[in-house]
Formats: sequence, C-alpha cells, structure tokens
Amino acid sequence: MRLPPQPNERIDRSAELTFSFEGKAVSAFAGDTIGSALYAGGRRIFSRSFKYHRPRGLLCCSGGCANCLMEVDGVPNVRVCVEPARAGAQVRAQNVRGSLERDLLSVVDKIGGPFTPVGFYYRTMIRPRRLWPYYERFLRSVAGLGRLDKHARRTNRYDVEHRHVDVLVVGGGYAGVEAARRHARAGRRVVVVDERGGDNPGSDFELVAPARAIGIYEGGLVPVDAGGILYRFRADHIVLATGTIEQPLLFPGNDLVGVVLPEAVRRLVEDWALKPGERAVVIAADDRGLDATDVLERAGAVVVAAIDLRDGQPTRIEAKGRRGRLRSVVVGDREFACDLLVASGTPQPAYSLLAQAGARVEYDRRRGIFLPTELPANVEAVGSVAGELGSAAIPAASFDGHKGRCFVCLCEDVTEKDVKRAIAEGFDSIELAKRYTTVTMGPCQGRLCHLASIRLFAREQETGPDSIGTTTARPPWAPVSLGLLAGRGHEPAKRTSIHHRHEEAGATIMWTGAWRRPHSYGDPAAEARHVHEAVGLIDVSTLGKLLVQGPEAAPFLEMLYPNRFGDMKTGRIRYGVLETDAGRIMDDGTIGRLSDDQYYVTTTSTGADTVIEWFEWWNAVWGMDVEIVNLTGALAAVNIAGPRARELLARVTDIDVSNESIAYLDAKEALVAGVPSLLLRIGFVGELGYELHFPSPYGEYLWDTLLERGADLDIRPFGLEPQRILRLEKMHILVGQDTDSESNVLEAGMPWIAKLDKENDFVGKWALEHVRERGFREQLVGFEMDNGVVPAEGGQIVADGSAVGRVTSARLSPQLGRVIGMAWVRSDLASEDGELRLKVNGNLETARVRLKPFFDPDGERLRS
Amino acid sequence: MTGLAFLSPDRAERGRQFEPTLASPLTRALGGDARVRDLSGLGKIEVRGDVDAIDADVQVVRISPGRALVLCAYERCAELRAVLPGTVIDMTAALAGLELTGERAMRRLTDLDLRELPAVGKVAEVPAVVLRDGERFQIFFPQEFGHYVAEVVLDTLAGIR
Repeated sequence: MRLPPQPNERIDRSAELTFSFEGKAVSAFAGDTIGSALYAGGRRIFSRSFKYHRPRGLLCCSGGCANCLMEVDGVPNVRVCVEPARAGAQVRAQNVRGSLERDLLSVVDKIGGPFTPVGFYYRTMIRPRRLWPYYERFLRSVAGLGRLDKHARRTNRYDVEHRHVDVLVVGGGYAGVEAARRHARAGRRVVVVDERGGDNPGSDFELVAPARAIGIYEGGLVPVDAGGILYRFRADHIVLATGTIEQPLLFPGNDLVGVVLPEAVRRLVEDWALKPGERAVVIAADDRGLDATDVLERAGAVVVAAIDLRDGQPTRIEAKGRRGRLRSVVVGDREFACDLLVASGTPQPAYSLLAQAGARVEYDRRRGIFLPTELPANVEAVGSVAGELGSAAIPAASFDGHKGRCFVCLCEDVTEKDVKRAIAEGFDSIELAKRYTTVTMGPCQGRLCHLASIRLFAREQETGPDSIGTTTARPPWAPVSLGLLAGRGHEPAKRTSIHHRHEEAGATIMWTGAWRRPHSYGDPAAEARHVHEAVGLIDVSTLGKLLVQGPEAAPFLEMLYPNRFGDMKTGRIRYGVLETDAGRIMDDGTIGRLSDDQYYVTTTSTGADTVIEWFEWWNAVWGMDVEIVNLTGALAAVNIAGPRARELLARVTDIDVSNESIAYLDAKEALVAGVPSLLLRIGFVGELGYELHFPSPYGEYLWDTLLERGADLDIRPFGLEPQRILRLEKMHILVGQDTDSESNVLEAGMPWIAKLDKENDFVGKWALEHVRERGFREQLVGFEMDNGVVPAEGGQIVADGSAVGRVTSARLSPQLGRVIGMAWVRSDLASEDGELRLKVNGNLETARVRLKPFFDPDGERLRS
Repeated sequence: MTGLAFLSPDRAERGRQFEPTLASPLTRALGGDARVRDLSGLGKIEVRGDVDAIDADVQVVRISPGRALVLCAYERCAELRAVLPGTVIDMTAALAGLELTGERAMRRLTDLDLRELPAVGKVAEVPAVVLRDGERFQIFFPQEFGHYVAEVVLDTLAGIR
C-alpha cells in the first residue's frame, strides 16, 4: 500500500505498531498518525458530517478541518490526521449510527433538506406543540459532536506550566525560524512553538513542538496546547509566523470524499509515502497549489487535468460522485473521470492570533484576501501571514454546477443555499448571519470558511468584501480540551495544626468555607451532653484572629463596631457585631483589650478574610494611626468547656485560675503546659469555658497534653455539630445561618450592642437609627416545638394562610430533651410563649416562642 | 503594649513536667520525601515601617515598601525581635516553608516570573513568598495551607518526566 521510500518521509518502516479501529487491528509505522495509518489500510471515509451525515474524507490533512474527528481512547473530537499513532490505542468513529460506510442518519441528507434549513430547530418541528418533547429528545440525541462518558474518571494527566520568555515565536516555518535566530543573535531568550514535531534545529532557541498556540489574551498571555501540558507564555515580544491557510473552492459536490487541498497531497506522499489517488484533477489559484501536480506525478498518479485559475476561470465546476466518493469532475464543458480532485483558492494568511493581539484586519481588494495591518506594539508578523505571498488568482465566490450541495462551511454543513436564504430572511450583517447560520462557528474556527463566506456574502449583497468587514476573531483559535484548561484538580484546603489528630480520632471531616473541620467524632448528641456534664475540648483554630494596635486602636474599633471599646479595661473581653454600611450584620466575634492600645479581635471562621479586608479598607479610608495584623494562621486555638474546665486548666498552668482571678470575659496571657498562650474566658457553648490561643506549631502537643491531663476528668473532644447544638441552647447566633444580608442587630434581638448614643459615628449607624424609628418588622426569636418533630432549616412559619417567618436553626437538644430552634417572625408574633405554626413536611406543627436562652437563661453556669 | 509572647513559639518553656514539642504542617504530606525540604521550622519575622533600616546579618525579603519578611534560624528569633526596627511581629508560627529543586516544577506551581525573584505571588493558588538560589526555590506560605501545598508539590513533581 505504501510508495517506495520517500526522501523526507516521517515513518520508520522498521518499527511497526498496532492500534484498533472499531475493534479491528490496524497496523502502522512509528511516525504515522492515526489518520495516515487508516489511510494506508484503505480507509477513505473518516467521518460523517455534522447535520446531513454525509461521508467525509481527509481534506486538509493538517489538523485544520473537522473531517477526521474520531474518538481516541474515550476522548472525542480528536483530529486523527495529526494524532500520532500509539500502540494499543482504541479508535472509534463518532457522530454515526451504524458504521462510517452505512450511517442510518444519512437519511437526513436524502430527505431532510426541506425540513432542516438553517435554524430549523427554531421553526420546523415545533408544531404541533405536544409533539415537541419527542422532537426535542430526538434532536438532543443527534445534536453535538462526540459523546462523553459522564461516569468516566480522569484518564489523562494535564499540567499547566507558566513560562516567561523574552521572545515567543508562533510558527516554526522558514520565516519563524529566521525571526527566532535574529532575536537570539540579539541576546534574547527565544521559544518557538510549532504545530508539527521536529528536532530542535540548533541551540539558539528552544522549540516547543508539537504544540499549538490557542489564543492571545490580554497582557500578551499566549496559552499553548502541547498535548498533556498547557503552557501559559508571557513574552516581552511576540512573533507570529503562522503562515497561510489553503482555502477550498465552492462548487457543487465540494465535500465529496476525494476532494482535497494541496497540503493533504503533500503530506500523504512526502510524509507517509501514500498514494492519494490514481487519476487526479488539479485546480488551483497559485503556484503552491499547482505544485500538487508534480507531487502526484512523482507518486505515480495520472494528472488528467491541471487548471491554473490565473489563466481564466471556468464557467462551471462540479464534482460528481457515488455513495459520497468522487467519480468525476466537470470543468467548463469537459468532464474528467477521476478519484482525486485537488482544489484550492487564494491562500488566506492565518491572521487570527494577530487579530486577537489587537491588529487591524482589512480586505485587500487586489489580492482577494484579508491582511493584518497596524500591529500592536511588541507584536511582529513575519512571512506569509504578513502578506509575503506569490501571485494568485481570485476565484469566483462560488462556481455553478447542475446539481449537488455546495458547502460553504463543512464543519457545520452550511451550504451556499443556506447563506442565500439567511440573507433573504434579512440577516444582512455578517455578524448576524454568522450567528444565524453558524458558518465559521464549527471546529475549524473559520479556517476554511471565513473568507469564502464573506466573499459569498458580498456577491449576494452586490457589494465588495471590504465593505462587509470581518467577524471578530476570538480565542480559542484551535479547539482545546476542557481537561487541559482545568489543569490539575487541586482545591486549596485549610487545615488547622490539630487537624490530623481529628482524623486519627475517627472524626467525620466536613468543609466549612475553605476549612476542613470535624463534624463530630461519631456521636454529636453524646458529645454535646458531655460538655454539660464533664468537660469537652474543641479545636477552634479556624477563628479569624486579628491584632489591632496603635494609638488610635480604640477609636478605630468604635467607628467599626456599634459597641463601645474605649471604656473597656485592659484584660477584658466584649462581644461585638460588625455592621455593613447599610446596618446589616456582617460578622461577629469577640474583642479583647490586651493593653491601652492593643486589641485582640476574633471573627467567625469563614468571615475572617472579609473582616480583615474590611478593617484594612476602613483604615485606609480614615487614615488612622492603627496597625492591623492577621494572626489567623499563626495561632491555634482550643476551647475547654464544661463544669470541670477549671480543674483541668489548673493542672496545666501556674496562674491562679479562680473565678476571681479569671472571671467571665477576662483575657490573660499565661504559659499553658509550657506554651505561651492567650487565655480568653468565653462561653459560646454555654458552659464554663476557656479559649486558649497559642502558636500553631504546638497544636498537636497541647491537644494531646490536655486530653492526657484531663483523662481522669473524662475529657472528650467534640466537633462542630455538637457545638451547634450547644450554642443553639444558648440562642447564640451563627452569622450567615441565623442572619442573612437583610438582618440587623436590633431586630436580631441584640439591641444592647448598638450604642446609638455613642459620641462618634460608626459604620451602619444611620441605618440602625432608621430601623429604630420605623419600628421592628420582624424579629429573631427562639422557639420550642410542642412535639419531637425537627423542622427543616429555611422552613416556613405561617399565619392566616400566609408566610410570616422562617426557621433558621433547629435541633433536638439532648440536654433538654426537646426540639429547639431559632426563627425570624413578624414582630407582632415575637412575644414569649406565643404560638407559631410551622410547616413541616406539608403538615402544620405548633411551636412556642422563647425570648430567653433555652439553657441557663441567666448565665449562671457561664459565670460560675 | 504587651510583648505578644503568645505569638512566639520560642517563648515556650520546657521542664516542670511539660515538654512542648513543635510540629510542622507538612510532615504527614511529605512523608519524608527527600526531594522537598521542610523549612517550616525557620524563624520568620515581619517588620513594618522603615525596612531599609534593617541592619542585621539575616535574609530580608521586601514584601512592600513598608513591609519585609526576615528569615533566620529559629534560635535567633529572640535576639532579632529585640533589635529589628519598626513594628516587629513574630510570624514563625504563621508561615510554613519548603524548598524544592527545579525550575520546571516551579513553573507548574506559580505564574510568577522566575527571572525576578524574590517576589510575592501565588503558589498552588495560595499566597506565598518565593525566593531563589540557582535551581533551588524556597516558598513560604500560610501554614494552614501546608498540607495542601505539600500535596500539590509532590503531585507536580510526579508529573515531571
């Protein structure tokens, strides 16, 4: 099947390999592509077209068109003409019901014409309406190209690599290599990217190949697809040597198998020693196209006619075939029997990347092509893409024939008739016609149809292509797999320095924002009860932690929070709620005064970054003498809580831990088990409790030590879920859970926080004053269910048939033996013991309003 | 102002029945892999203010016009905290650090221009300070991302052929 060895062939005849196509073995030589090996085995039909399911064969043979898309090892839409043959690869045809030779859906080509004009899915088949669901199901099953296995796992490894270079050259042809050498001589570091493989032609530049630049983005970012790696190039200077793209001619039958572009002939013969046909006709607009004649003759084919369009244009061109394969070509009034037609028009400079980089693109009337002009700074075009071309004819926008479809866009199966029809329907702007007909929007990205469609459009509009203009060139310039864009599947996760101890203890780990945290250690209810009865230990290192220090620290905080801070004594702590400018609750936490001009602020775990930005923003706005330091990651933190907490603390520190020495809401620095710590007596979970904040590298040490020293006190770790039960028993809100973007502190039941009589203004003050004046509309209250049903969070509260509130939190309290919760209700319903009707699973259940904490309402246990 | 002793791991006191031990967030993920050196135990001190006035025999990384990160041996933290100018914040506990070899791996971890280090940017999507010594790169980043970053670094090295 192969020709005798060719001087520059790319195959290694001594190295054979085998892959499979549709389950049958195909043999190939090293250096073959899947396409060339299939061609050598006699295959001529490579795909079925998008809409009409017409047979299609190799056309460009250079990875530009969509004629050879197949599924390779489960990856759809692989251009097999450039995909290297690999031993063991599993290759399948796609977009086919049956086989490539007999595709059931080719019936669309036979009878579908009148039913499937451009945009048919907007107008045919939509009536009668009740049938539309069936049509839709059928259309969806046949639409699109290729199938993805939704359950498949990642098979290919994709990496992303960032490169910074002095000069990036796209295109490793003669002009590109010349430019690369010129820049290298000037001492610049040069990288050349080329679509074809090859040896590095020297040490003066680096060659990345086979690889494809897929676009030029803002800031000169050039992503390059090199198979399993996406290179993200940033170059000080970009040279584009992308060459030209051979253009098909428009004539009836121009999609038959056997109609090819000259480059396909060159590659088949010279690279893979394959004979493209026995009897050939060549029609070309320039010397490069006509060169195919010599190549064919060297390969032993008979060229029955070679037509140079520069010598005059035939009145008629028509390709005739049977079963989709070329049988003869009519040129003018002569008909030639042949099995190969090499047809090409004026080569079009591949300017897309230049246009994406910001170059202007104009139609050159004299040469009949689009040319880039006015290049942006730091971008250079060399070689034929810059217009360095030989003489070429401008072929007719389309040639007439007697019958057969004349395709403008092969990828999308758009015919000349479709374009005419779109114009007749009023799509008289090229941008609109493009979207309507989808011409240029297929996998070739307009390579083979952009120029043709515009010239056809101009002829039909009786104007020149220069007045039609061009459509916008956008990345990607070549199709790219989503896996490549996604890169490695890593998700940044934060872990506390105690994290691995939780895993070792068998905790269930959950995401909270970017943090990985223990949900519980197996029994949330028991863990919660244990805190009430003995002592529990929870990792709260995820709390946001800030140091606010400087001479104006107190006034700074007073302007941020509705609370007062200037009057706070050193060593004391206050609960604070941050407001947005509109008076809505943003975050909450504690503020401890460490010294005259130092405050230690904690935030919620997920709100830390927002709060830090908020603080820094206002510090910049107000220009106060304050310094903000983010200590979130520097410090680990644990909360020891429960009636035996003090006893445990006394065992690990030398300081006096009596209630007089460290009272509720006191802050103190101390050595705990030898570790320098900040001790905060806080009671989020409602029992006597101490938060220890200490350098994170001691996380595991201190956790272990506390569990060890408290073993006889029956200390146990508890997770996030038990903490949520415990805080609900105390009606301590969770920002984001019990509040939303509309909630304010007054209606959330914390009016004591907002010191509206403060001398200074504070963020959100006006809004809170407004709420006070207008009166409360709804209020955050507690509720207790009459029965043991746990309502869903977000569930409705109804009165007289309409919604009057919503549940924000609900849990069964193991300590109280009752279902408790919090809810926003219309303010007239917010009275102690008032009845609420909750919708739970379609039933109405009764609950009673509670305005004071369910557990230890007066905080005696907290203060004891 | 207090000395913020609770920020400094080296202020821990051994003896009297307690033996505080430091742990690195990278240990488990690295699993002793020899290709990556764990630098989390280095002393790291942030200086705010007139960073030009830093006059000590230590590595200083300028983070912004008014901020610098001083890298030192853990044992020198106490001494440096006392002599460094401006606001001195002990960040030893806040930052994890690692050293790896090979520009290729670094290119896959960061979009920073490796010709212009040290610099502040993102490594494995995480904010980081990156330093270079020939083919060796040092990365310092928030310790809570330590395990994740170590996993990404090892995965990246696994992808380089």
